[in-house]
Amino acid sequence: MGNFFSSMFDRLWGVNKELRMLILGLDGAGKTTILYRLQIGEVVTTKPTIGFNVETLTYKNLKLNVWDLGGQTSIRPYWRCYYADTAAVIFVVDSTDRDRMSTASKELHLMLQEEELQDAALLVFANKQDQPGALSASEVSKELNLVELKDRNWSIVASSAIKGEGITEGLDWLIDVIKEEQL
Amino acid sequence: MPPLDKRIKKFIKNSLRVAPRVSNKGELAELRAALVSQYPQTRKDAIKKTIQQMTLSKDVSSLFPDVLKNIATNDVEQKKLVYLYVMNYAETHPELCILAVNTFVTDAQDPNPLIRCMSIRTMSMIRVDKILEYVETPLRRTLQDDNAYVRKTAVICVAKLFQLNKELCIELGVLEDLVSALDDANPMVVANATAALTEINAMDSSVVNLAELINSHVSQFLLALNECTEWARITILGALAEYNARDSLEAQDIIDRVSAHLQHVNPAVVLATIQVVIKNYSRTEQQNPKAFMNRLSSALVSIMSTPPEMQYVALRNIRIILEKYPEVLTKELRIFYVKFNDPLYIKIEKIDILVRLIDSTNFKQCNMLLVELKEYAMEFEPEFVSRAIQGLAQLGIKYSEEKFVAKTLDVLLELLEGHENLKDDCCVAVCDLLRHSVGNDTMANNVCSVLNSWSSVESTLTSDAAKCNYIWLMGQYPDKFTSLESKLEAFVQEFPQEEPLTQTSILMTVVRLHSKLSGNILQNVLELATNSIHELDVRDMAILYWRCLSVSDSEKLIEELCSSVSPRIENTLDQFSADVLEKLLTELSTISSILFKPKSDRNTSYVQRQYVVRGKQMDELKDIAKTEIAKTMNDDVLLDFDDDDDESNPQISGNNNALDDLDELFDFGSVPSNSANVDQGMKNLNIQTQPAKKTSNTQDLLDLF
Repeated sequence: MGNFFSSMFDRLWGVNKELRMLILGLDGAGKTTILYRLQIGEVVTTKPTIGFNVETLTYKNLKLNVWDLGGQTSIRPYWRCYYADTAAVIFVVDSTDRDRMSTASKELHLMLQEEELQDAALLVFANKQDQPGALSASEVSKELNLVELKDRNWSIVASSAIKGEGITEGLDWLIDVIKEEQL
Repeated sequence: MPPLDKRIKKFIKNSLRVAPRVSNKGELAELRAALVSQYPQTRKDAIKKTIQQMTLSKDVSSLFPDVLKNIATNDVEQKKLVYLYVMNYAETHPELCILAVNTFVTDAQDPNPLIRCMSIRTMSMIRVDKILEYVETPLRRTLQDDNAYVRKTAVICVAKLFQLNKELCIELGVLEDLVSALDDANPMVVANATAALTEINAMDSSVVNLAELINSHVSQFLLALNECTEWARITILGALAEYNARDSLEAQDIIDRVSAHLQHVNPAVVLATIQVVIKNYSRTEQQNPKAFMNRLSSALVSIMSTPPEMQYVALRNIRIILEKYPEVLTKELRIFYVKFNDPLYIKIEKIDILVRLIDSTNFKQCNMLLVELKEYAMEFEPEFVSRAIQGLAQLGIKYSEEKFVAKTLDVLLELLEGHENLKDDCCVAVCDLLRHSVGNDTMANNVCSVLNSWSSVESTLTSDAAKCNYIWLMGQYPDKFTSLESKLEAFVQEFPQEEPLTQTSILMTVVRLHSKLSGNILQNVLELATNSIHELDVRDMAILYWRCLSVSDSEKLIEELCSSVSPRIENTLDQFSADVLEKLLTELSTISSILFKPKSDRNTSYVQRQYVVRGKQMDELKDIAKTEIAKTMNDDVLLDFDDDDDESNPQISGNNNALDDLDELFDFGSVPSNSANVDQGMKNLNIQTQPAKKTSNTQDLLDLF
């Protein structure tokens, strides 16, 4: 009985509850830019993130707690501190950076092996599509071996944080998935 | 009880709340779960509870990563709490601190000046070198901030950074910013910059030329002085006190500008002002010393109406000032009269000041004080009474007129008759008076007739000084004592147990009177003094006398030696040497003025507390400590072979504690007692009990600094 009421309250006062989302990726992929694109809809000048940024944004009646973690090699080991209770992971890839595609792939698969992220949905942004020489979404998908992922909701979207293309599409997909799972 | 509307609001808020509550138990697992809760309200509660546990000195350092997640928030209150936590526990997780850097840097550009200020303040307080690497941008930005509140914090942060990492601080060039902050339009910034520069100068005088900076900024200081808070004022006045005025005109100008602060409510400001005024006064052409003295004395009177602890500081400082300007305060004698509820330490200082204050040409005043002191001597606190009696003797000698001395003596003798327990102090006091009025036979007669009547003096008098004086008196006026020999004999019997002063006195008196005494006393004393006394002075003196007695015309020699008249004593108040006095006057209102020891005489090697956690260095130290402890553990095994299996485990965990402590200790290698402690700790076989003790020691030492 108590459970019933509390869950009802949860829906009633659902605004109080926040969904955790992580934005990860190698350094310079555009994570912070994407975060602030989502938050204020503008392009901000960023510096390498030493540590993290966190913003709370309301999207389609959901309160999202979006964490953008720094991508430097020195900070990557601390990503694991943030895995708990995460509903979704947004993995950002610099589509022009062909040399480090394998590193990105390695980090991605390493991360997805974590117990705490078993239920998290994955959205990959093939970012920087505005730049010449950028790999297309399918090429990036191949480089990252995304097909190998089983038992996971995932999607890849070509995006440009600077121009604001693809970001909302990607997020829409993610929200739909989360809503299905959580509610 | 908060007002009704607030209570209703609280009630509604609580009844509508969905976010799970955090219990008051403070279990780590519960707190950890709540810190990463999906509900912001729960998270905030959890942070509050965590801080609560922290203030109860429970170790909540294991929550560090989870608390850190909450650092980025728009809620100022929550931010403040998280900052507090980070400050406290940064050293336990030096590597994780890096995760906070981004927030610090972002917060340093926050539109809210409070947050900008908080961020730079916290950042400079984290003793982790990885954090310090990133301090440059926010520090530079805040140093140039539009808001004075942020700037004044940033200038202090430069000093903190300097303490933590001198090289970095110099490399970043923020010291130049600090120097230019002296020209800031805001007086608070100027004051804090001054304070920061003074600190830096104390840590390493080679980096900034403080004296020159002060010289070139005197006008700024004088301008800022009137517009800043009291503590900033103290800093600025401190800097002004370092400044040497170019000529008498400038000195007069400085005096005029600062003297308004002589009336400040904060005694520290008053003392700092007095320091500046006194320093410059000696440089002015003294046209109106009386007005100056009036101003000075009213300032000093004002700081006497403070709580006892501050009064004590005031009294100690007044004592120094009086020595330079004895004429100040002469009219204010009354405020130094002891009140019945003064603490003992104040009472004693007051008597000292009273005797110093007295104008030795003013009979009425002296007489008043005599009566007052007599009252004090009839109180019950032994230390106070004995100081009062000493004061009486000092007063008598200071006024120096024969009749007055005689009167003082009468007072003392009167006291003696009524009170058994004052014998020690009175004995010393009357002998002082007799030494002052040499050749006054009636006084000597009076004294001796009273003192002669005492029986078994050697046990009634307890203090060394009193015994010494009594024996001196017997030697000085042997005719006025009856049964001299038996009295002396009683002292001689106690000879080996007496303290050096009494021993010397006995020895001298016996030699002096040897013709009047039977031979064996002399023989006895000399033998005792040469054989069974370890005090070199006494022994040498005895040997010397022995040699004198054994030469052919010993009688004449001894006569000559003993009949020399000791010089009349003129003053029993102790004085500073001129050199010390000058130094003390420049260090008024500092600890030196309370100890009466100038800074240069005290051993104050500035203990630079610099312990930034440096990953590698720490590991090295740990290794060293580990091998040391392993060694001692082997020794340990030799001793308790019975239960070493059971003990090995707890001992390892104990060692970890010990290691942390050792790390701390190593970083403070400059404190000698600490390093001794480490050695001791290393050698100590029982490592398990040691850590707790050591931590408290270190902690105590840390607290001191």
